[in-house]
Amino acid sequence: MMKQYFDDMVAGIARKINDDPESRSPRKVYALEVARLGSRLYSGDGGVAWCGVTAPFDLLNAMGVTSCFVEFIGAMLAATGMADAYIDEAAHAGYAGDTCTYHRGVIGAMRMGLMPEPDFLIATSVPCTGGLAVMETIARHFKKDLFVLNVPQRETDESVKYLADQIRAMVSFVEDHTGRSLDQEKLQQAIDHTNEARALCEEAYFLARAVPSPADGRILSNFGVVMALLMGTSAGVEVARTYRDRFKEMVDSGQGGIADEKLRLLWIQNRIQFKNPLIDILEATFGASVVCEELNDITWDPIDPAAPFESMARRAISIPFNGDVNRRIAHLQKLAREYRIHGAINPCNWGCRQGTGARGLIAEGLKQIGVPVLNLEVDCIDSRNFALGQMQTRLEAFTEMLSG
Amino acid sequence: MTENDSPRIGFACAYTPLPLIRAAGFIPYRILPIGDWPDQAGQMLHDNLCPHVKRILDRAMADDLPDLAGMVFVNSCDAMRRMMDAWKQIRPKDKTVMIDLPATAEPLSIDFLAGEFRRLVEVLSQWSGYDILADRIKSSMEQYDLLASRLRNLHNMNQRGMLSGGSGRMQAIYNQAATQQVEALIADLDRLISELTAAQPMKEAVPVFMFGNILPDPAAFDLIESCGARVAGDDFCTGARLFGAYETQVAIKNDAEDVFHDLARRVLTRPPCARTFDPAAPMRIAEDVVDLALACNAKGVIGHTVKFCDPYLARVPVVREALTAAGLPFLMLEGDCTLRSMEQQRTRIEAFIEMLC
Repeated sequence: MMKQYFDDMVAGIARKINDDPESRSPRKVYALEVARLGSRLYSGDGGVAWCGVTAPFDLLNAMGVTSCFVEFIGAMLAATGMADAYIDEAAHAGYAGDTCTYHRGVIGAMRMGLMPEPDFLIATSVPCTGGLAVMETIARHFKKDLFVLNVPQRETDESVKYLADQIRAMVSFVEDHTGRSLDQEKLQQAIDHTNEARALCEEAYFLARAVPSPADGRILSNFGVVMALLMGTSAGVEVARTYRDRFKEMVDSGQGGIADEKLRLLWIQNRIQFKNPLIDILEATFGASVVCEELNDITWDPIDPAAPFESMARRAISIPFNGDVNRRIAHLQKLAREYRIHGAINPCNWGCRQGTGARGLIAEGLKQIGVPVLNLEVDCIDSRNFALGQMQTRLEAFTEMLSG
Repeated sequence: MTENDSPRIGFACAYTPLPLIRAAGFIPYRILPIGDWPDQAGQMLHDNLCPHVKRILDRAMADDLPDLAGMVFVNSCDAMRRMMDAWKQIRPKDKTVMIDLPATAEPLSIDFLAGEFRRLVEVLSQWSGYDILADRIKSSMEQYDLLASRLRNLHNMNQRGMLSGGSGRMQAIYNQAATQQVEALIADLDRLISELTAAQPMKEAVPVFMFGNILPDPAAFDLIESCGARVAGDDFCTGARLFGAYETQVAIKNDAEDVFHDLARRVLTRPPCARTFDPAAPMRIAEDVVDLALACNAKGVIGHTVKFCDPYLARVPVVREALTAAGLPFLMLEGDCTLRSMEQQRTRIEAFIEMLC
């Protein structure tokens, strides 16, 4: 079922671009590559690894492994309106309703046969404790080997060495499971692709800071976190270049992502993954545009070909969700200043201890630089808990306050 | 200043390396969530965050703490990280340090944790004002080995009916061990053990095994036993697990490097909290619970976790499956670190025990 879904999606987008090259938007190119990844995951041809969010996907791509973080499945189920049955299945199996719905969706999909069987799993201790637990559950369910990357909280010489050594051990683990050695030429090529995509993303993000911003509330949705999956590939470079080129055209011509940008918003952590009208309401009613998302930023240096595993270790440690909350707040403050943000929206995904847990501290941190935060009580995956009227009222009050 | 007047270092996680704190001349003081304080932590942390963490913060915000020379946090889970974040806000003058704790125990992780312990000793040296020598660490670890041995003796004596007060009293002793000076406590426990010479007549009760994370209130164990159960074995962060890294037969060498590695290996390989696991045996916690329950001849198993605990909540369904396969009835309770939440579940506990009779 899912293979067909992704194949149809690939064919549909490719046909549209082919029929009308002018319609080749960055989002379409991005969606095409995400659909291709989905198709590979569900191909049944093997070579699949389920991973944690901070796994080195470029390295895995260089090793010929189709790899993806498991939360992708939870988000996909929500985006396609299919999540309910799988969340219910997890509940029937005893998984508590207080836990993250991304992960409960994954567990339900696994139990109902919708989750592709992996060849092996690579868990990461960052960003969250719940993510590690779901990887352990999947490994037991499929009786597949599990490798764990412990991502340290702080960047020091010792911690980088620790994670780099683990990545070296991971390479051996993957070689043992695929029967293929890491090809140094392919690694070099992947590093080149990663560094090129990184530079293009950095340019695109820089352009998105313009006033008016070329970004609207949809074009960069989930972009930073999903782009990690495309790192190390030519497809990733192409996606990043398309964004950079389009944003440059728009900025050069003074064109904004929305018609009349009045308010510039920062979106914290999770997008609401199921279809909902909040972005439309913000843009159409209030002229408020989400121009920045927390993970749409480059927090790491280019991969050093002479020390690739150390560079990948630094990259994993650098993500804003790692470490203490002051580090995360400093990053949010930096984004708010760079993008000239008027206000921030924090959809406090129910069940997320890592992100939502610190919402009061984050709100206080942004308040210190004059950026108010709207905390939304929401489940980003389960649409049944979504109270549109209540959300709309709160958005109205928030944007009125920002406008005043 | 006598040893009993030594300054205290606060901690909250059972993975805290107590011998290093003691070697620095401090008394490790576990901040237990037993008491009644206004609910204030919710201002900073979301409603769905661990009540263990929030109760400790409530306690700190109510200023119901002894004088602390500092706080040692451990990066054991998301909630513990958030606790340190919030602690820095509410007590900005406190000295704090966080130890990074791997989730697995392969050699690379043991090496890394040894380095973290070395860093902790450097921090503690700055706090105490003097160098902490390897032989002092060795001596401190020997004290904790002795303490763990005494606690094991008392636990066994309790199982034979020799400790009046039963599991509630045993928990009270664990709480003392988590908050008091180790050397003096060993002497107290030696006296207690010497007085416990005869088994008390044991009342008819159903043996159950209990496991989970935070259950420090002795009254909670009294409540379970008042429902007709006898806690034949237990595995909690607030019980024997805090001392599970000690009382091992491994020789400790004098070299400081080996001391840190020795302690790191002990801490990572001790009976685990759900957050630590062996990738080669995913969800082995399920088999561990079954084995521990069978080892103490339990007729049933009661799990107790504080609400919103991802490490446990994510693993309970697999534990339930394993217990069902082993023919062991299972009752799962969630609490909020108050006795009120346990009392509300009394009827469920009574029904469960009746079913086991």
